[in-house]
Formats: sequence, structure tokens, C-alpha cells
Amino acid sequence: MPEPRRIDDTLWELPVGTVPGMRVPARVFADAELLDRIRGDRSLEQICNVATLPGVVEAALAMPDVHEGYGFPVGGVAATEPPDGVISPGGIGYDINCGVRLLALPVLAQEAARRMEALVHEIARRVPAGAGRGGALRLGGRELDAVLRDGPRALRGRGIGSDDDLAHTESGGRLEGADPQAVSERARTRGHDQLGTLGSGNHFCEVQRVDRVFDAETAAAFGLREEQVTVLIHSGSRGLGHQVCTDAVKAMDAAAGRYGLDLPDRQLACAPASSPEAQRYLAGMAAAANFAWANRQAIADRVRGAIAATLGRDVAEGTRQVYDVAHNVAKLETHGGRKVWVHRKGATRAFPAGAPDLPEAYRDTGHPVFIPGSMGTGSYVLVGLPGSLERSFGTTCHGAGRQMSRTGARRRIAGADLRRELEAAGIVVRSASSRGLAEEAPFAYKDVERVVDVVERAGLAARVARLRPLGVVKG
Amino acid sequence: MHEWREHTSEIELHIVAATERDVFREATAAIADQLGEATGADGVQRRIAVDARDRAALLAAWLDELVWLAEREGLIPRRLVDLELDETAARGTVELCPGRPRHLVKAVTFHRLAFGRDGDRWRATVIFDV
Repeated sequence: MPEPRRIDDTLWELPVGTVPGMRVPARVFADAELLDRIRGDRSLEQICNVATLPGVVEAALAMPDVHEGYGFPVGGVAATEPPDGVISPGGIGYDINCGVRLLALPVLAQEAARRMEALVHEIARRVPAGAGRGGALRLGGRELDAVLRDGPRALRGRGIGSDDDLAHTESGGRLEGADPQAVSERARTRGHDQLGTLGSGNHFCEVQRVDRVFDAETAAAFGLREEQVTVLIHSGSRGLGHQVCTDAVKAMDAAAGRYGLDLPDRQLACAPASSPEAQRYLAGMAAAANFAWANRQAIADRVRGAIAATLGRDVAEGTRQVYDVAHNVAKLETHGGRKVWVHRKGATRAFPAGAPDLPEAYRDTGHPVFIPGSMGTGSYVLVGLPGSLERSFGTTCHGAGRQMSRTGARRRIAGADLRRELEAAGIVVRSASSRGLAEEAPFAYKDVERVVDVVERAGLAARVARLRPLGVVKG
Repeated sequence: MHEWREHTSEIELHIVAATERDVFREATAAIADQLGEATGADGVQRRIAVDARDRAALLAAWLDELVWLAEREGLIPRRLVDLELDETAARGTVELCPGRPRHLVKAVTFHRLAFGRDGDRWRATVIFDV
């Protein structure tokens, strides 16, 4: 792989021709040190492969937390122009609408300190976590259809969620065009008993305090102040979303010959946006995205229950949703005067003030963006900058980015030792699996401070506040 | 022969075998390593039938069925009993045991999927999302 050409301190380019068939350049947002780490896996080759997709426009982009994925790298962004530009399910990922939701409690960390362990324990008790875990919320056929079509709105009949929550969720918690019929029976079977569950891997529910405010005005608009207690929820569409992606990759791989597609990686399986295969996938993707928003809504409801049980009903009733953003989704947006399907895989929207499709509450500021670090490190709340619309299809990164295999992490530290270290740092830990805990050790991830610094210097998003963990429930 | 390799967020299965059928046989035994422990109880047999555009996709589809049986029925594969294989279809019987699924494997990907002849042997690579 040739050396990327430096455009500026935070942007590098691999030109057309770096790999055969590239239609646009590949660009990487990173500083020199992050780029050095990124070179350690196949991310650069993968983003060049993404640049070969039919209908891709401007450039295929890699965010500063990029790491090797399946086909598309995680932290990869590409926009394709319909009707002939392709839709690639791998450009969204298996965990459709994996994302994060931030809740803000009306208490300060000092006020809640005595009850922190009880709160984390209660969250762990109420929110099922771990691979394959189902939950108490089991949906029959018609109710599942309603969730797939309407997302969290469909749970209002069970007393879950509020209008305010929906108003503070990306896309109001519902993508248009969702079709329950586009979700296979196998996907429905996997998902029908998983609503309200965290899952495993890097999914978590973290209790935090606002450690520092960088932009007081925007923080106030987001409802955040120093020392305030917050809860960050990271989860997605569980087995249902995985199956929707699996089904679509198989179908598009099988149809590749019909569309004359010869791809450098079969996981880039794709079909023209106007094709039946792409239309079916988009309808299923929207349904899975709605399911994921409903999942985070159900988890948030249980978190509120835990807050009520440990900190009191008043605190639970005063707990507000700051925002909920998706990491893995494709959206039809207008950029550079043309409508394009923006594929974000491990990347989030970062729309600034005045941009279209902003919730009413954030029209004057831009919407909140969340970049979680690893367990034990800080997470950041940011706000989109105009530079994101100019340079990255209104996108920024979604986290610190993995830099070590799960085995590598487990070799370096035992789950029990990591738990002791975190607890010694004052962080309450509840984990479904010691093995899973070790795999998510802080050193397995890139330095979130450096990632956020690049995001800000690149003009994509600006820091608003930093959050420090007080307790974590690990999936 | 099979080998597992772990990377950043995935595991890779590499198989070398004498025949194409042996690749399926080896893959069936190998996936059990990841799916969970069998409890040693009496086995059951299940018929698996998959279609795909080529051998590599057939192997991915075959393994996907085994992941599904583990996830939904708690059955861990023990061995391949029989297999009919043509260009675009695989039909066979697998013996499985009740077990304790780890729910580690979330998907069988098409990423760097490969199945082909290498001299007098057959090689295959399948990557799993975990």
C-alpha cells in the first residue's frame, strides 16, 4: 500500500489508482500518529476497495477511529448516487443502528455518590446483558410488526417512552420506508425476545459525571452542566439486525453477476439502489433501525426504573434524554446539490446549526454527537461543525476505535484484574462475562483524546463536554 | 486440518483438506469449537439444505445453518454424517448434541471468503463476526 498523501495535518489521501478500479480517492481523517496505527491493519486497503463501488461520489472516507472490518472498515463512510449507485449492506454493518443514547439526571455526582453502587447494581439487574440474552419484553407478531414500522412509538402502549424522548432521537426514532415483510422469519425469531437487552461485545450502559464543560452555551442548550450525572447506553438491533444484514449480503452476492459486479471483497456485496435487492434491503434496514431505537428506548425505560428505585422517583421523572444517534445506518441525504445514499459504518452524523433534518430543540446549535472512549476513560459530547457538511458528508467518528484483537486483550489482562483496576479507580463494574470484560480493556482501543482532537482540528465537530465513568454495566 | 486465527474483532477459520466434501466435514467439526460445549447426551440428526452461487458461498451458508441450530435449539455439531454436493447446492445430514451454546458467533461473513484448489488439496477461509 503506497503512502497516503498529506492534504493537511488531519487529512490524508490515497488517490484513484491506489487499488485497481477506484472511482474516487480514499481519504483518511487522522493525525500522523493515528495514521501510523491505522496502517497496522487492512483499513487503508479496505477504504480504497470501498472507493471502487459503482456510483460512489467524491471520496470514500475513513474516520480517525477507523479499524479493519468486513468489506467496509469500521469508521468508513461512502456516498452513492441513485438510481444506479449501489447500496452495500456491509457499508452499514451487521448491527444495524448500533448507536448511543445519553440521559441526563437532575442530580450532581456528589449527591448520588452514596447510592452509585446501588444504581449500577440495579441497572445490571434490570437490563439483561450478554451474548444471546433475551429479555422480559417479548413481542408477538403484530407487536413486532409495529416496532419494525414505527420504532419506539410502538411501545407507548406499554407505557415506555415519551414524546420528549422521541423529539430527542435522531430521525424521531423512525426511518420511513420500513417494511416488516422485508424482515425474514429467521430475523424476527432472533429479535422477538431481545428488546430491552444490551447484547455483548462493546455494548454497555455507563453511569457518568460531566467532568468538564468546554462550551458552556452549547452544554446548557443540551441540558448539561458540570458534575451532573449522566447515563450513556450503547446497543443496537441485536440478532434481528444481524440477520437482516446476513440475508441481504447473501441475496446481493447471489445477484452480483446479473448486475455485472466484480468486487474486490465479497462482503462489499451490493446492488443498484433501484434494484429489487437494494429496495428490499433498505426496507429491512429501516425496520431493523426502528427496532434498535425501540431497543434503546426499552433499555432507557429500565434505567429510569433503576434510577427511581435507588435515587428516588423525582430523580427518575426529572431524567431527560439528551439525544440518541445511530452509528450504522444508510440515509438518503443531499450533499453538494445531489441526493446520495450516505453509508455510515461505525460513524455518526454531525449536523451543525441550521442543517436540515435537525430536531427542533437543536436547530440553533446542531445536534449532540457522542464519542464514547473505552471503559475507564472519558467519553465526549460534541456538536457538529459546518466543516462536516463540507468535508465528510456531515459525519464524524463513533468512538475510540479498536486497535487490539479480543485474544490479544485477554492475553494481556484477566477480567478479574481489570475489574480490580477499575474499582480501584472508583468505577463500579458489573459485567455478564469476565472474558468479555477483558476484551474491552482500555488499551484495546485507540486514545480517545487523540481521536477527538483530530475530529475538532478537522472541523467536523467541536467538544462540548467530557464525561467520566462512575460505573459501567458491560454487555 | 483446520486452524483458527483471531483478529481485531473477528475469528478466521482456515481449512486444508483432501476433497471438497472433506472441507465441509472439517468445517462442521471446527465450528463446534466456537459454538459451545456438548453435554455428552445422545445426539440428534438434522438435515441441512443450502443453495448459493458457488462453493464458497455454499460453505458460508452451511456454517450459517449450524450457527442457527446452536443459537435457537442449543445443538452443537458433532460430525457430518453424509453430504451431496454440486455446484450450487449442498444437502446433508449432521449429527448434533444438546449443549451449552456460547453465543459467541453472531454472523458468518463473506469477508475474504475463499474456497478453492491449491495443488492437490482444497483450501477454504471463512471469517466470523463475534
